[in-house]
Amino acid sequence: MRLQLSLIAALVLVPLVARADDRVDTTITWFQERRAEAAGDKTTLDVYHPQFDLGIDLGESFSLSAGYEADIVSGATESLYAAPPAGSVDAVSSATLFDDARQVGKAGLSFQGRRSRLYAGYAYGFERDYLSHSVSAGASIDLPGKNTTFGVAYTHNFDQVCDLDNGNASPLERRPLTGANECFVAAGTMGRTTISHDVAIDTTEATVTQNLSPTAVIQLGLNGQVVNGFQSNPYRRVRVGGIDAQEASPLVRGRLALFARARLAFPRAHAALGADLRGYSDTWGVDSLTAEMEYFQYLGGKILFRLRTRLYQQTKAVFFEDAIDYANFGSTGAFFTGDRELSPLRNVLFGGKMSYLAVADDAGQVWGLFDEIDFHLRAEGIWAQSLTDTPPDGDVSGPLPDMIIVSLGLLMRY
Amino acid sequence: MPRSTAVAWSSSSKLFAVALLVAALAGCGRFAVRPNEKEHLADRTMQFDPDGQEAASDDHVLSNREGSSGGKGSGGGGCGCN
Repeated sequence: MRLQLSLIAALVLVPLVARADDRVDTTITWFQERRAEAAGDKTTLDVYHPQFDLGIDLGESFSLSAGYEADIVSGATESLYAAPPAGSVDAVSSATLFDDARQVGKAGLSFQGRRSRLYAGYAYGFERDYLSHSVSAGASIDLPGKNTTFGVAYTHNFDQVCDLDNGNASPLERRPLTGANECFVAAGTMGRTTISHDVAIDTTEATVTQNLSPTAVIQLGLNGQVVNGFQSNPYRRVRVGGIDAQEASPLVRGRLALFARARLAFPRAHAALGADLRGYSDTWGVDSLTAEMEYFQYLGGKILFRLRTRLYQQTKAVFFEDAIDYANFGSTGAFFTGDRELSPLRNVLFGGKMSYLAVADDAGQVWGLFDEIDFHLRAEGIWAQSLTDTPPDGDVSGPLPDMIIVSLGLLMRY
Repeated sequence: MPRSTAVAWSSSSKLFAVALLVAALAGCGRFAVRPNEKEHLADRTMQFDPDGQEAASDDHVLSNREGSSGGKGSGGGGCGCN
């Protein structure tokens, strides 16, 4: 749950991209986030994220894909949002240390016709406290002339999340899970302290991609998701009117996102510009707007440089309140949370990526074997700003980014 | 669903339908861009999410730190050259 495998639902919508060649794609990403409160001598959260994907053609029309990815996490948790010392008004307590790992395996089968593509896939992911099975399917078709493409995709997740067995306790009596509780223990086992909740996630997306001119293309889309099941962080506790209780969130969440994306080429400058805009709203009351710009510049024939910036801002969920308000006045309804994702916030991302590209030509294959090689290095920073007086996870100030992302990747087509 | 959210969804859906119609009318004719004019559209810089692993990794990182998820779009482009 710490790593939230439910996001697989969003990820498996991507494979509708046609991949005509056999390929091997591997990337290692290092993500680091600074924490507001020190936990021992560790003040950051570090995630190492290896990804490996393989694609193989099965004849003219079919291709098989398989992949593996992992998150290896160590560091400080978010500062907890509860249990201030007696007489203190500071409701943010120190972070604690933890290690965790998430692993995902996936496989898919694609069919590519003259103007159409079909995809079906399956993914299985597991971590200490979360299991996920997801099935997905997608299709896209080009209209005559191949200037307009319609695409649809659907994913269903059959997930399970671990929780402390609180029996029939009321929300304010419920206690959080801890790292000492063993998860997914068979029913009837002596000393079992945990149970698992089912979480069902349905995600669907529809897109239309349109060539506007020889140098401009746009994509419009609609993405909807319904999550049904336990969605609180089982580890998180919130002080509500003097009682430390496990976070309580609604069991159903409906999400809707509308987006528009555009790419514009500048052939004489060997450059291109990308712009993405997304509006989002959900039934928990979170509304957000995302704007993203990318600038691509070729330097010579083999180096491609990209600059990217992204601005994101959201409102809070209707049941989110500052820690002080929960502690002093209790919750206004049945739900209470210390999740920063449900607080009002703004994120700004900026960074660059450099790719070395080598493509087979009349002189022969790249390194005598490949049709294409793409070696890339990416470095980006995220500056996060909480828009509430008492941020759920404290406040990291200063000019340095709150989060950094560095990745190194190699794509080989043959 | 709160009434304000329902109204926002309804308005957004109408806007999306209008945008879809305009886009379709604007360019879905079969001669909007001829095959011999698609050189630049086929370039990787004109593809949406040319690096699938980066797109997946971004979704994972950002969705764990923001309340929103989805709506990143699907990959590929409009070159029609697959």
